[in-house]
Amino acid sequence: MAAPVLERPPARPGGRARRRPDARRRDHLIGALLVAPALAYFLVFLLYPALSALSYSFTDWNLRTEAAWVGLANYAGLLFDDVKYPHFWKSVGVTLQYTLIAVPLTLVTALAQALLLNAVRRGANVFRLLLFLPVVTAEAAVGAIWRWLYDPQYGLINTLLGLVGIPGQNWLNTPELVIPALAFIAAWQCGISMIIYLAGLKGIPGSVQEAAIIDGAGPWQRFRRVTFPMLRPTTFYLLVTGVIAALQVFGLVYVIFSGNGRSVTGGPEQSGLTYVLHLYLFAFRYDAMGAACAMSFILLVFIVIVTALQFRFVKQEAA
Amino acid sequence: MSRGLARGTAVALLATALAACGGGDGSGGGTSGSGTGTGGESRELTFWMYQDRTPQAGQVIERIRRDFERANPGVTVKLVKIPKDDYNTKLGSALAGGSAPDAGILDQPLVSKYALDGTIEEVPAGLIDEAGYYRGALDTNRAGGKLYGLPQDQTTVALFYNRRLVPAPPKTWDELKQAAARVHAADPDVAGMNVPKGDGYGAWMFPGVVHGAGGAMVDDAAKKVLFDQPPAVEALQLWVDLQKSSPRAITDSDKPFENGRAAMTISGPWDVPTIKEQFPDLDFGVAPLPYKTEPAGNIGGENSVVFSTSDDPDLAWKWLAFLAGPDHNGAVADALGGFPVHLKARVVAGGPEQAAFLEQLKVARARPAVPQWIQVNDEIIAPAIESALTGRATARQALADAAARTRSLLGWTG
Repeated sequence: MAAPVLERPPARPGGRARRRPDARRRDHLIGALLVAPALAYFLVFLLYPALSALSYSFTDWNLRTEAAWVGLANYAGLLFDDVKYPHFWKSVGVTLQYTLIAVPLTLVTALAQALLLNAVRRGANVFRLLLFLPVVTAEAAVGAIWRWLYDPQYGLINTLLGLVGIPGQNWLNTPELVIPALAFIAAWQCGISMIIYLAGLKGIPGSVQEAAIIDGAGPWQRFRRVTFPMLRPTTFYLLVTGVIAALQVFGLVYVIFSGNGRSVTGGPEQSGLTYVLHLYLFAFRYDAMGAACAMSFILLVFIVIVTALQFRFVKQEAA
Repeated sequence: MSRGLARGTAVALLATALAACGGGDGSGGGTSGSGTGTGGESRELTFWMYQDRTPQAGQVIERIRRDFERANPGVTVKLVKIPKDDYNTKLGSALAGGSAPDAGILDQPLVSKYALDGTIEEVPAGLIDEAGYYRGALDTNRAGGKLYGLPQDQTTVALFYNRRLVPAPPKTWDELKQAAARVHAADPDVAGMNVPKGDGYGAWMFPGVVHGAGGAMVDDAAKKVLFDQPPAVEALQLWVDLQKSSPRAITDSDKPFENGRAAMTISGPWDVPTIKEQFPDLDFGVAPLPYKTEPAGNIGGENSVVFSTSDDPDLAWKWLAFLAGPDHNGAVADALGGFPVHLKARVVAGGPEQAAFLEQLKVARARPAVPQWIQVNDEIIAPAIESALTGRATARQALADAAARTRSLLGWTG
């Protein structure tokens, strides 16, 4: 965008040496101006609140009165005090379970959809739109639709299972089924990953596939030995961002378990009490903003560790 | 940058990041700070309330606002309407950021919390004649014996019954169990009753049942937990027993009572017009909650308070007393979806169901005035109810465990 400014016509030979530092300074100034909005946004709306949240995590604060310094009490309480925070570890378990199911399921669904779209000759735009729709649908509508689909009496899912002889389940009210049911919805909303996979697929040179065909590789072998390895950077990116998003899941649980203005307490036996929902309840329902800030930093540290481990142990380069 | 602004930004960020899915955001967060100065002729007052339930309700409130301005020349009342689900979050952010309104609606269990830390003002002496108000509703505004707000409407829950399945409403627990069993025996696809669950909402309804057996959840003056006593255990056992004739596979489906899949349910007056509109063929009635030893129920509704940061608290109290007074409270309460709190206010005529709710309100009890009550309700009582309902523990074990946890959390010994 800044090209016209930077590509000025060559200066006259005589003036060149004299003008250069000046021009460079101007370029720096323009560069600084161009990044200024993004930098200001980062400083004011991300870094500064994050740092103040960090300082509030060492306080007892209810949003209304002066915050009282309590040192590490919030952190110690969350990790060890079963009386004050009876469901903290439950929420950790729920979130890990969700991440372990939702992320692989989303990646597999997204890749499958992308492969199909890539193979479709006619109407690819229509299918792409249809598969992407769940992403742009309002969360509240998604919640309402899936509550219907999972309904124990009228639900389409139980009806379909019934056709193959599987007894109907009370999906959203059976503690063991809540997280798989939520992960399934997340996989249905995999449109963004699907688009990124599709871009990755388009980026694989046709010559490589042709070479594989000439070598006599079948479709499955081509996928396993060529396509999938070539997509490794894409998969790695989606894995890392997917894990981060899954560890912070909130909106989905909120819309599924709210309704009629009822309070959201995390589904049957806290089986849907995800980490961030738990954090939200402490911040805005139980008046413990200090503890909520501490929870958000525990999550931050955990996410950094998990991400670092992925960078260390998961293959990233295309092969 | 001031401290207040810093907090506001931090909290607003958390709030938007977390509650972004909360739906319509029309009114926008911390609108215009507190009312402008006290000086001279023009005085402005900002009042926060829940979003209108219906366009008609909005018109009623608007008419009363204009009446108030006409009666008090130079005064402008600015109404800020916020979706109920987002209200407490937005209010918390506004308080943290120092942009709280002069006055606003406040959820009943929050009054004692806000009073204890000085966020809201005490009702000035002589503002109202306390004898003119329903006692239960007024009591929900007390903390430490002092009055910190004015009620604006009150509501309660009662028993909804399907006339086709339950011809006459049960009055006692035994009749309730028999009626539920009869319905389910006649048609195994129909549940006797939509039994509340072990979630925040079910835990909120539970005290009304406990009172019906002559018990109470806590004695907050003496700092004693009472919900491990026989009345509460029996109340929970009632729900456990009712589930035998009310399988969850039926009652967890969409709108089981409205669809004729559950013969009875517990709900409030807010559901009556919705059911009549969406399910015109459902022949249902409303009766007071069945009880064991004495009729009882719980109370809900909306209180109103003046925030300590208000520049013009006198005007704010005047406005709240105007809304809660005998001349307007009938219309106000109706617009807010509840019943009047002033004894002389005219009850806006409703259907035949109204009598049951009004009768229930006479015996309704305010919830415990314990600042941490919401957390106890959600994190301790709700799971205890659920573990009894799913058979993981007996009612007695579940409540004994919950009572012990509550004592530790609150630091009570009794």
